[in-house]
Amino acid sequence: MTRGFKIPKRVTTEIDFEGEVIKIDAEVPEQEPEPIPEDKKLNIIGKKVPRINGEEIVTGKAKYAFDINLPGMLYGKVLRSPHPHANILNIDMSKAEKHPGVRAVINLNKKNVRYVGEEIAAVAAVNEEIAEEALDLIEVEYEKLPFVVNINRAMEPGAPRVSPDGNISKPRTRERGNIEDGFKEADVVLERTYKTQVEVHNCAEVHGSVAKWDGEKVTVWDTTQATHGVRRSLAKTLQLPESNVRVINHYMGGGFGSKLGLNVHTVAAVNLSKIAGAPVKIMLTRKEESYCVGNRPGTIQTLKGGAKKDGTITAFHYKSHNNGGVGSGGSNASPIWDMYQCPNCLIEESSVYTNTDASRPMRAPGYPQGTFSVDLFLDELAENLGMDPLELRRKNYTTKNRGGTGTPYSSKGLDKCYELGAQRIGWNRRNKKPGEGKGPIKRGIGMASEIWGGSGGPGTQLDFRLITDGVVEIRCGTQDIGTGTYTIIAQVAAEELGIDIKDIKVMIGDSDYPRSGSSGGSNTAASVCPAIRAAAADIKGKLFAIAGPLLGENPEELDVGESKIFVRNNKSKSISFKEACKQITEGMLTSNETRGPNPKGYAFSTFGAHFSEVEVNTLTGKVKVIRHVAAHESGRSINILTSENQIQGGTVQGLSYAFFEQRIMDEQTGKMINSNYYDYKTPTAMDTPQIEPIIIDSVDPVLNNLGMKGLGEPPRIPSHAAMANAIYNAIGVWIRELPITPDKVLAALEERKEG
Amino acid sequence: MKNFTYINAKSIKDAVESLGKNWNESVVKSGGTDLLGELKGMIISPEKVINLKTIPNLDYIESTQDGGLKIGAVTTITKISESSLIKTKFPVISQAASKVASPQLRNMGTLGGNLCQRPRCWYYRENSILCLKKGGSQCYAFTGENKFHCIFGGGPCFIVHPSDMAASLISCDAEIKIYGRKGERELELNNFYLLPRENVNRENVLNPDEIVVEIIIPPPKNNTKSIYIKQSIRETWDFALCSVAVSMSMSGLKCDDVRIVLGGAAPKPWRSINAENELRGKMITETVAESAAKAAVNNAQTMRDNKYKINLFQNIIKSAILEVIKS
Repeated sequence: MTRGFKIPKRVTTEIDFEGEVIKIDAEVPEQEPEPIPEDKKLNIIGKKVPRINGEEIVTGKAKYAFDINLPGMLYGKVLRSPHPHANILNIDMSKAEKHPGVRAVINLNKKNVRYVGEEIAAVAAVNEEIAEEALDLIEVEYEKLPFVVNINRAMEPGAPRVSPDGNISKPRTRERGNIEDGFKEADVVLERTYKTQVEVHNCAEVHGSVAKWDGEKVTVWDTTQATHGVRRSLAKTLQLPESNVRVINHYMGGGFGSKLGLNVHTVAAVNLSKIAGAPVKIMLTRKEESYCVGNRPGTIQTLKGGAKKDGTITAFHYKSHNNGGVGSGGSNASPIWDMYQCPNCLIEESSVYTNTDASRPMRAPGYPQGTFSVDLFLDELAENLGMDPLELRRKNYTTKNRGGTGTPYSSKGLDKCYELGAQRIGWNRRNKKPGEGKGPIKRGIGMASEIWGGSGGPGTQLDFRLITDGVVEIRCGTQDIGTGTYTIIAQVAAEELGIDIKDIKVMIGDSDYPRSGSSGGSNTAASVCPAIRAAAADIKGKLFAIAGPLLGENPEELDVGESKIFVRNNKSKSISFKEACKQITEGMLTSNETRGPNPKGYAFSTFGAHFSEVEVNTLTGKVKVIRHVAAHESGRSINILTSENQIQGGTVQGLSYAFFEQRIMDEQTGKMINSNYYDYKTPTAMDTPQIEPIIIDSVDPVLNNLGMKGLGEPPRIPSHAAMANAIYNAIGVWIRELPITPDKVLAALEERKEG
Repeated sequence: MKNFTYINAKSIKDAVESLGKNWNESVVKSGGTDLLGELKGMIISPEKVINLKTIPNLDYIESTQDGGLKIGAVTTITKISESSLIKTKFPVISQAASKVASPQLRNMGTLGGNLCQRPRCWYYRENSILCLKKGGSQCYAFTGENKFHCIFGGGPCFIVHPSDMAASLISCDAEIKIYGRKGERELELNNFYLLPRENVNRENVLNPDEIVVEIIIPPPKNNTKSIYIKQSIRETWDFALCSVAVSMSMSGLKCDDVRIVLGGAAPKPWRSINAENELRGKMITETVAESAAKAAVNNAQTMRDNKYKINLFQNIIKSAILEVIKS
C-alpha cells in the first residue's frame, strides 16, 4: 500500500577524519553503478589531465577570498593580546570609535587571554592603515599573569598553570594483549625518545573573510575547507536561520587543516559589517598566520619495543606528550598502533598545555610525528637484530589493522610500494655498515612506511544537469582547496558520459549548492567522485530513454563513448551525444543520485613507502637530499597529474619538517620570534631534491564504485622519517630530534667522536 | 607601516641636505630590500625616506689608475657578482656577491645597502619586543634563543653582522667613502663597523646625516688568491650561519700576507688576526691550515645554542685555506 511517499535508506558510516573516527549518518541510494572493472580501458580517468581551470588560476582570473572587493567595502583588523597570559581588567574603545575613518568597533568581551595573539576586539575602517591605527587607540588594561610556552617547562612541577586541571592531561590509553608478556618473549628490547617541533601551516593564502549583509541574509567569502560546515557554525554562533547564511569559497590557496572550522575573525567580519552597514574584509597578515590560527603540536615521544631474533615484533609501549598550546595535543599513536604486526601494544598519550595558540589539524595530524618515532625505531631495531630494515618491515607486514589483530584491509598495496620503491632508489646500494663511506661527505639511503585513512564516505549531495546543448552542469557544495577537485569531478562525469571534458561545467565552493563534507582526512576525492559517477550514470540512463526510440533500440542496449551514443553490439548504429541532447524536451535532464555507504567488515587505509638518498657533509653538518622516491597505493588514481602533485607537495613539506621548519617561542616574552617567512625557514627550489613519485596501479575491490582512496595527506607522512633513516645510514649516528639542522648534526658527530 | 615623506634625491648633496639629525627623522633607501622589511615590520618608523637610486652616476664599477677598483654605492649586487673585472681580480668579492640572498634580492639590493643593512636578530626584527638595540634594557638573545648569535665581540648585544659583502671587502683591505653635511671622509671598511660596546644602537660609524657613496678596493698584492665560503641553512635566500673570506698573497706555497674575515661570527665582520698570524710567512700545509682554524676560534665565547659554530668555523676556515691555495 502506498502512502504517497517513499522512505529512503539511511546508513551510519564510520570514517577516519583527520586522525579521528567520525560517524556520518546519511541517506544512501538503493543501488549504485557497478564498480568499473579493473581492466576496463578508460579515456580520461587515470590519465594525466591538466587542471580544467589552470589558466584561470595562473592568470589571476580565479577569484580567491583575497580578491573579493565590493563597493563601499571596509577593512577589518583584529586586536590581539600582546601578552601570553593576562586578565583583562578594562577595555576602553572610545578613542578608536572616534578615530576618523573608523566605522565599527567590537569588543569580544574577553576576561582572560591565554596566548599572544588571542583575539580581544576588532575594528572596521575605510582602509587597512586606519584600521591599524584604531587598534593602537584601543586601551586595554591587563593584569599580567605567569605563563609558560615551552613543553618541557610546562611539565615541571610548579609551572604556571595553563589549564585549571593542570598542564598535563590524563593520558588517553589504548591497549591490546599484554606488553609485559610481549617483552618477555623478546630477544631484543630497545627504548628510545624522539622529539618533534611545532610546525605552523603557513598556507600560501592567509586566512580571511569578506562579509556582506543583504537585509537579514549574510554572504561570507571565506578561506575554508568546509563551505557547508562554516555556514552551519556561523548560523549557530549568530543565532541566524541556516538558510540566511551563505558561504562562498570558489578558490583557496591551501588550508592543510587550519581552515576546517569557523574562525573568530570571520564572526568579527560579519558583526562589524552588520554594525557598519557595509561589507567588511578581514585578511590576516603573515604574522597572524604564524601564531593565531593553529599549528602541528610538538612532541616528546618514548617508544619501547621488543622483537624476537627472527624479527617478529612482540610488543610496543608508546608514551607521548604533545604540546597543543591552549588546545589539544592530539594523537600520534596510530602508526604505532596499526602499521606493523604487533600483538601486544600499550599507548599512553597526554596533551601538554602551554600559553601558545591552540593546535589545529595539520596535513595528516599526528601521523608524521608517530611515523618519525616508529620508523626510526624499526631501523634501529633492525640494526640490533642484524637485519635489513626493509626485511624487518616485510617480516612484520600485516593485512589487518591494529597490528594484525583487527579487521582486514579492503586493499593494501604496501608490499608493491616496498618492491618498486626499493628497486627505483637502488636499495642494495645502501651502506652495509652505517657511516662506512670515505671522506667528509657521506651518502646514505633510508626508507619509511606510511599508513593513513582516506576512505571517503557517503553524504555528498549534488545537482547534476544535462542541458540540450550537450553541456553538463554540476553543482555541489564541496570545495577545491588547491588539490584539483574541479578537475577530477569533470573527469569522472566526462568518462561516465563518454564526452569531452570541456563540456563539463563544475560549480563548487558555495553553500547555495547541495551539501558536501569538509575537505579533511583526504576524504574529498573518494567521497565526491563516486557520487558524481552515480549521478552521471543516472543521467546516462535518462538520456538512453530518449536515444533508444531515436535509434529504434532498447535503451538498455545502449552505451556511450567518443561523444556518441551507440548500440553496444553494433557500434556503427549510433547518434551523436549532442544530437540526442537536442531531443531533451524538458530542456534539461537532472539527477541528484549519490554514492552509497562504505561496505561493512573492512578497514580502509592508504599506504605508501618513501625511499631517500642523502648526502651529509660532516664538516658543516649540512644534509642534502639527493633523490627521493615516493611510492603510494591509494586505489585508483583519477588523475595522475593531481596525484603526482600531492606526492611532490607532501614530500616537500616532509623535507621542510625534516630540515627547516620550527616555531620558536621565546620563553622570556612568550612571543613567537620567527613569525615571518625569512626566520621561519621553508625550503627553496634549490633545497628540493629530485622527487620521483610512484603511483601503484591498483583498484580497491570493494570500497566504492570507482575503487579509489584519498591521497592528500599520505605523502606528508613518511618522507622526513625516510630522510632521517638515510642520515643514519650515511653517518652512523642517530638524530632523533627534528628539525635536523647543522648544529644537531655537528653535535651528534662530536658526541660520537668523544664517545 | 606608518606614513612618511618620500624624497627622490637628485644629487649626493641634495640627499645629505634632506637628511635629518637623528635616525627617527630620516633614513636612506637604495635597493630597499632591507629597509622595506623594517618599515613594514614597524621596526622603524621614520618621517622621511630618501631615495638614493635617483642620484645620477652612483652606479659604477671602475678600475683605478693604480690597478684597484671603485664601486658606486648603489651598484647592484647582481652587477658585482657578474663583473668579469671583479671575478678576475677579486674572486672573493665576486663569490660573496653571488651568495647574497636570492637572485631577485641581488637584482634590487645594492652594495651600499648591503654594507649598511641592519641585523637579522629575531628579537630585533620582532617589533613587539623592545630589545637593547632598539632602546630597551636587555638583550633577550643572551638569555634566550641564541642559535644564530655571535661567538666574538658580544656584549651587551649579541647580534652577528649579516653582510657577506663586508667580510669579502675587508679581506681585500677595502675603504669606504662617506659623504655628509660636514663633507667627505674616507676610512678603512674594517674601521667603519662598531661593536655593541662602542654603540649598542648602531652597527657602524655613519651619522644620521651621512651616506655611503663609494667603496675603494686597493690593487691586490702580488699573486693574491682569494675565496669566500658561506654556510647557511638554505641553499639560497639565507644569511650566513658562518662564513669566511680569505685573501692570501703567496710566493709558491708560502703565505706572504693574509686576511681572514669571518661572517656570522660577531656583531661586526670579524677579522681573525690570530688565524692570520698562524699563516703569515709559513708554507701552507694541512697542519698549518688546521692550526690557523683552531687559532681562529681560540677565544670564542659561546652561549646556550651556538656552540656548534666553533666546529663549523674551524671546518670551513680550514677548507677555505686549503681551497684558496689550489685556486
